[in-house]
Amino acid sequence: MSGRIFGVGELIREINATLAGSFAEVWLRGELSGVKVAASGHRYFQVKDAEGQLSCAMWAPRADRLRFKLTDGLAVLLHGTLEVYPQRGSLQLIVAEVVPQGIGELQLAFDQLKAKLEADGLFAAERKRPLPELPLRLGLVTSPSGAAVRDVLKVLSRWERLSVLLYPVRVQGKGSEGEVARAVRYLGRCGLVDVLLVVRGGGSLEDLWAFNEEVVARAIAACPVPVISGVGHEVDFTIADFAADIRAATPTQAAELVVAQLERQQRRVDDAQARLYAVIEHRVDRARLRLQGLEGARGLASLPARVSELKERLRRLAALPALLRAVVAVRHRRLDGAIAVLYRWPVRFGAPRRRELVTARLAVAAERLRALVQARGLTLAGAERALGALSPEAVLKRGYSVTVREGGDAPLRDAAEVHGGERLITTLARGRLRSVVLGRVGDQSSLFVETEDGNRGQGKVDREERGDDGGVEQ
Amino acid sequence: MTKESFEDALAQLEEVVARLEDSSVGLEEALRLFERGVKLARRCRTQLGAVERRVEQLLAEAPEGQEPTTAPFAPEE
Repeated sequence: MSGRIFGVGELIREINATLAGSFAEVWLRGELSGVKVAASGHRYFQVKDAEGQLSCAMWAPRADRLRFKLTDGLAVLLHGTLEVYPQRGSLQLIVAEVVPQGIGELQLAFDQLKAKLEADGLFAAERKRPLPELPLRLGLVTSPSGAAVRDVLKVLSRWERLSVLLYPVRVQGKGSEGEVARAVRYLGRCGLVDVLLVVRGGGSLEDLWAFNEEVVARAIAACPVPVISGVGHEVDFTIADFAADIRAATPTQAAELVVAQLERQQRRVDDAQARLYAVIEHRVDRARLRLQGLEGARGLASLPARVSELKERLRRLAALPALLRAVVAVRHRRLDGAIAVLYRWPVRFGAPRRRELVTARLAVAAERLRALVQARGLTLAGAERALGALSPEAVLKRGYSVTVREGGDAPLRDAAEVHGGERLITTLARGRLRSVVLGRVGDQSSLFVETEDGNRGQGKVDREERGDDGGVEQ
Repeated sequence: MTKESFEDALAQLEEVVARLEDSSVGLEEALRLFERGVKLARRCRTQLGAVERRVEQLLAEAPEGQEPTTAPFAPEE
């Protein structure tokens, strides 16, 4: 072979043939740098480690199938073939596969898309819409078979009156992301639903992948009606979850949220209505009680009794001055009678001289007596006025009493009104006496009436009530 | 049957109740509020039950404004 002269292209072809034999398939570990996407769609980059670097090319058809993006600094395992690029004479790795190192490729793709959509503002909190106040018409995007749709419908059956429009889609496998995105777009715009449930049962990250595709995330974010996502299990977060208005942990929980909202609204209506009725019942009861109070035993019905009681008290009060006047008048009469006797007596029995003397003395005595009685009368008149303003109780306390016939209510003023054997009720300052009239006593101009003390059983105790008016005896 | 009118009626109902619970409201006014509350509660209930129970699956989309083709749906057991 020595001394053979190669053309450049010929040498490169020879090298490439040798490389293809010795390095048919190379696995190379390194870190990406200088990643470029050419207009053709081919990716060009360097792979390097601490000791060296190598140019790489990945043709568009293969590169486009990657779920993640090639980025600078990414630790990778590259699989490909080595060749010298004839036009530059440089060695390069034609990359067939890229396997991310330290992190799964799906996770990587997930992280990358998430970061991208986040930067686009798709997940912003201010974009999130609350559940509709009344989510009665539901759009459901999921597979028509499988556990998810069953779980959702089972929970939704708790609310009798709601409608479900299922847009059946495949939820995994090639092209499933396009179906999901299309279903979300259609249901969002058809005007037939208040809220959208995008759900799928549990599975591997691979299984759930349709919900980590950008097209699904964008369809959800752009949906005119609020979207609840419920994909996989509690631990599974998908890009769809981030794009949705509300993320439910599972399909069941997505349905629960809807039913809970309806139940909450129902409860608010029930509560408000219960309070409404309670308050009005309370108000009406109160009004009824007041009315009953006015009409009832302690109110209107007792009014006549109270009025007559008051009238009786007034009448007794009014009767007292008359009683007192009667007392004074009677005493005047008795006095006059006594004086007349005195005047007559010396005329009948005395000598003329002595008679004059006695008459003069008697006249003086009579005047003094008159003056005395007059003074008493004035005192009584004053007392009368004072008593007029006092309660009957106070009057009674002074020692007066009021006597009526048993069963009657007119105070007795004249002993002539009363016959022996009649029963009387006498009201004293303390307590009342029931008595039987034994008969009238002596002079009928007198006030003195003999009464029987009813308080002491059958014991008959005569009790004379007399005024002490200055010692004039009859 | 929009969500606004439900929320609106419910909010009004809750306000009516709150005013009614204020004991300084006279009996006449209380009865007027009560009547209004009953109407609002009825409106809320009507809306809560406004939708017929239906579970359907879409068979074919329709252009905007037209009803899609649907069929009753029951999940396989």
